This record gives sequence, C-alpha cells and structure tokens, in this order.
Amino acid sequence: MVSSALRTPSLAVSAVFSVLLFISERGLAQDSELESLRSLVKGMEQQLQKALQRIDQLENERGITATRVEQVEKSARARQSAPSALNPAIGMAIDATAEQRSKAGGTFNFRSAEIGIAASIDPYARGYAYFTGSGEGVEVEEAAMVTTSLPWNLQARGGRFFADFGRLAKFHPHEYAFVNTPLSLERIVGGESKADGAELSYLFPTPFFLRGTVGGYNKLGAENERLDDSKSRSWSRFTYLGRLNTYFDLTDNHSVELGTSVAFTPSSRIPDVAQGGSRTLSGLDLTYRYQPLDSTLYQGLSFGAELFGNSERLQRASGVRRMFAPGGYAYAEAKLNREWSAGFLYDNAPSLVSPGKKTQSYSPFLTWNLSEFNRLRFQYTYGNDNVNESKADGGNQFFLQWTTTLGAHSHGFANR
Amino acid sequence: MQVKRRSFVCVLFLVVLWSAGGVAQAQSIRVVTTIPDLADITKQIGKELVEVESLTRGVEFMHAVPVKPSFVPKLNRANILVAMGLDLEISWLPALLEPASNPKIMPGQPGHVDCSAGITVLDVPRSVDRAEGDVHPKGNPHYNLDPFNGKVIARNIADGLGRNFPQHKAVFEKNLAAYSAELEKAVARWQTLAAPLKGTKFVAYHSDWAYFASRFGLQQIGSIELKPGIEPTPNHLVALVQKMQQEKVQVIIYGPQSDRYPKQLAGQTGAAVVRLQSTGGATAETDSYIKFIDYNVRSLLAALKKS
Repeated sequence: MVSSALRTPSLAVSAVFSVLLFISERGLAQDSELESLRSLVKGMEQQLQKALQRIDQLENERGITATRVEQVEKSARARQSAPSALNPAIGMAIDATAEQRSKAGGTFNFRSAEIGIAASIDPYARGYAYFTGSGEGVEVEEAAMVTTSLPWNLQARGGRFFADFGRLAKFHPHEYAFVNTPLSLERIVGGESKADGAELSYLFPTPFFLRGTVGGYNKLGAENERLDDSKSRSWSRFTYLGRLNTYFDLTDNHSVELGTSVAFTPSSRIPDVAQGGSRTLSGLDLTYRYQPLDSTLYQGLSFGAELFGNSERLQRASGVRRMFAPGGYAYAEAKLNREWSAGFLYDNAPSLVSPGKKTQSYSPFLTWNLSEFNRLRFQYTYGNDNVNESKADGGNQFFLQWTTTLGAHSHGFANR
Repeated sequence: MQVKRRSFVCVLFLVVLWSAGGVAQAQSIRVVTTIPDLADITKQIGKELVEVESLTRGVEFMHAVPVKPSFVPKLNRANILVAMGLDLEISWLPALLEPASNPKIMPGQPGHVDCSAGITVLDVPRSVDRAEGDVHPKGNPHYNLDPFNGKVIARNIADGLGRNFPQHKAVFEKNLAAYSAELEKAVARWQTLAAPLKGTKFVAYHSDWAYFASRFGLQQIGSIELKPGIEPTPNHLVALVQKMQQEKVQVIIYGPQSDRYPKQLAGQTGAAVVRLQSTGGATAETDSYIKFIDYNVRSLLAALKKS
C-alpha cells in the first residue's frame, strides 16, 4: 500500500514531471515555431511593405505619366486652337558697317534691317517676303509665292523676287562672304536680280542636279533705271530670262557648280536716249567647294567666280552705239577654324558706256563668327577707279561689318 | 549649223535616255533617309522590297551638313523620306526639299516618315531663347543613341512603309517583329555589358548624349561648349576643370568636333577621352544600327578601363 502509496506519488511526480517535461518540450518546440512564424510574418511584412511601396511608386509614376500625357494633350489642343499657331516664321537680319574711304571719308553705315516672313500658304504653295529698311527708307525686297506641288518637276514663282540670274545676284547682301556687292555685279546687273514677274523652273530627271528656269519680268535688277516698274508696257519691253544650273560632286568632299544665264529685253531704253534697242545681259557662274564632311565645322574652302556681259545701245559722245561691256569677280574663302575664316575678292567692273574703262578692286577679308547668328568682318579694299572722274571707288577703303540674325531667318536653297 | 543641230539632238536624246534609265530602275520602293541608322533599319524592315540611301555618311556634324544640290535629284525620285525629326535636320533638309519638286515627301505628307513619333523626348527647354545658344525648341533630337528608341524608330518606319505600300504591309510587319526581337536581344546584352557604366560621371563636348546617358545610368557634369553651338571661353574652361576635379569626372565624350579641348581638359584633370559616334555609318564598325550602339558601349568601356 505504502509502496503503492509511495509509488502513487512517485508516479504522480513522474507524471507531473513528464507532463512538465512534455509541456516544456512542447513549449520549446512552440517557441521556435513561434520564432520562425514571427520571422516569417516579419519577412512577409517587409515584402508586403516593399510591394506596397512599389505599388505607391508605380501609382505615382502612372500619375506623373497621366499628368504628363494630360499636359501634352492639353498643350497640343491649346496649340491647335491658338491663333498664333498659324503665324509664319519671322526673323530679322541687321547689318551695319563702320567705313573709311580715302576719297569719301568715314561713316557709320546702317546698311539694312531685313525682316523676313515665311510660311506655307496651303498644300499647293508657300509664301515668303523680305522687307528691308535702310538709310534709303523701307522697301519690299521680295514678296513671292512659290508652288510646292506642281506635277512634272515644275515649280512656279510669282510676285517680286530675286530672279534666277547668276549666283550672287540672288543673295541678300548680308549673306555675302565679303562686305560689299561687287561693283561688276552692281554696274552690269544692277545689284540683286530683283524683279517683278513670274518664273517657271524645271528639275531635269537626270541622276545629277540639272535645273532650268525661264522667266518674264517688268525689268531685272534692283538698281536698273531703264524702265519704270509701275507702268504697263508692250511685250517687247519685258525682260525674258533663261538659266541652266548644274552641280557635280567630284568626291564626297569636293564639288563644282556651274550656271549660265541670259536675260533678254527686246526693246530696252536708257532714259534720255531716243533710240531703243535690245539688251542682252549674260552671265556665267562657277563655284567650287571643298567641304570635308567630317570637319565642316572647322575646315573648308570655297571659290566663286562670275562673268557678266551687257550688250545694248548706249549714248556715247560719238552718238548712239551698241556696246558690249564684260566684267566679273572672283573670290576664295578658307575656313581657318570653327569661328574664323579668311578670303580674298577680286573685282573687275567696266563702265557700260566705255567698257575700256574699268574699276578694279582687291579686297582681303577676315570673318569672325561668334556664333551661327553673330558675325564680325574686317575688310580692306584697294580700288583702282578709271570709271568715275572723282575716283570715288578708288584708293584705300576699310570696313568693319557687324551682322546678326534674330529668330528664324533663312534664305533657303538660293543662298547656299 | 547642221552639225550643231545634230549634236543638240544627240545631247537631248542622251538626256532622255538617261532619264528613262532612271525610270526603268524604279521597281523597288525608293527610300531616302537622312542618317545611316535609319537607312539600316529601313533595310531590315523593307529587305529586298526597298532600295535605301542615306543622305549623310555618318561622319558629319548633324547641325552642319552641307546643302548639296546632288541630294536634290535623290529627294526628287524618292517614294519615301525617313527623317529623325525634332528639328535635327532643320539646317539643311528644308532647303533641299524646296527645289526637290516632290510633294509626296514634304512634311505632313504620307511619304514623309518622322521617326520621332512616340519618343519620350529629353531636354525639352523650358524657355526658348538664343541667349541659351542654339537650343532645340522641341527637345534633344539625338534619340537614336538610346537603343530602346531603336524599336520605336523601327515601328515608325514599318508604319510609314505600310502606309505608303499597304500591299506589302504583312511583309513589313513580319520583318519588324524579327528585327525587334534581334534588337531586344542586343539590348539585353548591352545592359549586362554596360552595367559598369552606371554612375560614371562625364563631360560632353556638345549635349547630344542625354539619351545614351539616361539609358546606361551615366551622369553628365558639364559641357565643353559654353552653350549649345558656341565654343568655350577661357573662363568657362577654367570653371569646367574645377568642376571636373570636384566631381571626379572619369571621362570626356566628344563626337565630330575637334579633339583640341577634350585633350586639353584630359591633360588637366586626368579624365579619359573618348570619341563616340552620334550616328552610325561612319566606319565598317558602325555600319548597322546594332553595331553602332555596340561600338559606343564598347568604346566607352574601353576608355574607362584605360583610365
């Protein structure tokens, strides 16, 4: 009994012990499980946190993208509806010089402020205009329409524009490589080939560039005083033009461009000269360019030359006679680096009335392009003037030119 | 007189024959692209259906491409013109389209494929003023430097070809899928290869590397140019050297510019110098779009390794 009694408590103790042991063992096992559960939950919490953060981030990004898309759409809508959306491209070129001529003295010469406007008119044409203000007032230098979708490689131009005669005659003077319009161009052609009229160009379907132009104008030349632009005239008093222009790449870096032009006026008349007669103005132009493709920013050479000839009946001391006056210019310009270039211009300008008398000039020039839109140029000219009695175009001449462009100002293909 | 007339007739006959020859060749789709990258991608999508020519060779500085009249007949005969857009070609393409007498490829017409559609444009200026240099009002146009954009370009070209020649649309789509897959594989390769480029600080001559930098995690610290298109002043270079030393700039990247300033800065700061290509096509190593990106990634890695 005792033993059983003894046994009973011992049993009970052992039972309690084993239960305790079991419980503690169980407890230990539960603890580690809890621990692992805890760490699992923690890990999951972290992952959840990360996922939530990512969701936030993505939502944020989506929000930003959506806002951006909305902004873009809004601005596009605004642009489409704004009246200014259809405004043409507007730009201005300002050209001024400080000059010193041995015969005439010095001056600050405000040469021009040229406002250019250009835009498409409709699917069939585009329009452009240049208004030039200078010491002589404001004038419409060009205002023309050009077709953009004529068939058979044709392109028509109408209004007031620089007729397709020669090369330099189509340049606006601020685009020259040198300071002044060559006297040969000024005397024979009349400066820029400004004309009121119409032109038709044809691009030949050849593998190389070949373009022909025919045109009809009231008269040709900005300083041509032979006829009055504002008066009507018979067909024989108009000026008719023909030009062929071609270009070849000799290699990737060397190219040659050639052109020939003729402007014919069946019945031209110099004021105060009773007898009229036909006038033939002819031109030949050559441009050679070295443009190393991989360093056009730093290197390059261009050589340009033009020959002009004027044939018409003119008043001389000995009476009215047909005179042929040939003249021309040649220049070369080398790019020294990205900002600097230097060149030389030779000009041979005859008197139209006495072609034996000439003004010859020699002009070295140096150009500093501060940027694409801002340019300083220094030029020295020595002139030998046998045309003017005053020798106005002779002697030593110094020029400092400052030219800038504002906004969208480009004269396109013609002034390349 | 008789001889003169005969020779004139002969010349006229030759010209007509020449032109007829041009027409007879015209069986495949004639595509003109502005840069070689676009020519390569067009070739991948058009395959034997297209005859592709790029106007530039890949060596030019894109903002100073000469306006060559020899480009005019090419544009005149093109069925499709593929351009980068975002005003990359503004200084020369409009002047050439003017005499090209080809209304089909004028901007806005179906034959004018602008590859910038759908590109996420970087560096869009907050204000447009030339006091900031030769800024691009529409943003940075050198998006071809990010290979992810290669896929967008390819999609735009396939759409453009399909729009103009719907009878071949299925072929273009098939070729597009194949090319996109090839490009994707290449992109995955570049991402692994270019991993060490992440965080690399660099100075660029001209700011045309934004897309490349953003794709591969590079950080631009400054530019050699004072402002886009404007050469540096001595003061600007002094300040740039200081900044490069402070920021520990590792590499100077330049493109079709002179190496004078990059080398001068490298001498002063110890940074590496590398000339990368901003378009493909310049050499045999960059004669396809994929090879061009590959060349840039490898050249940059090699330059960094040397430094």
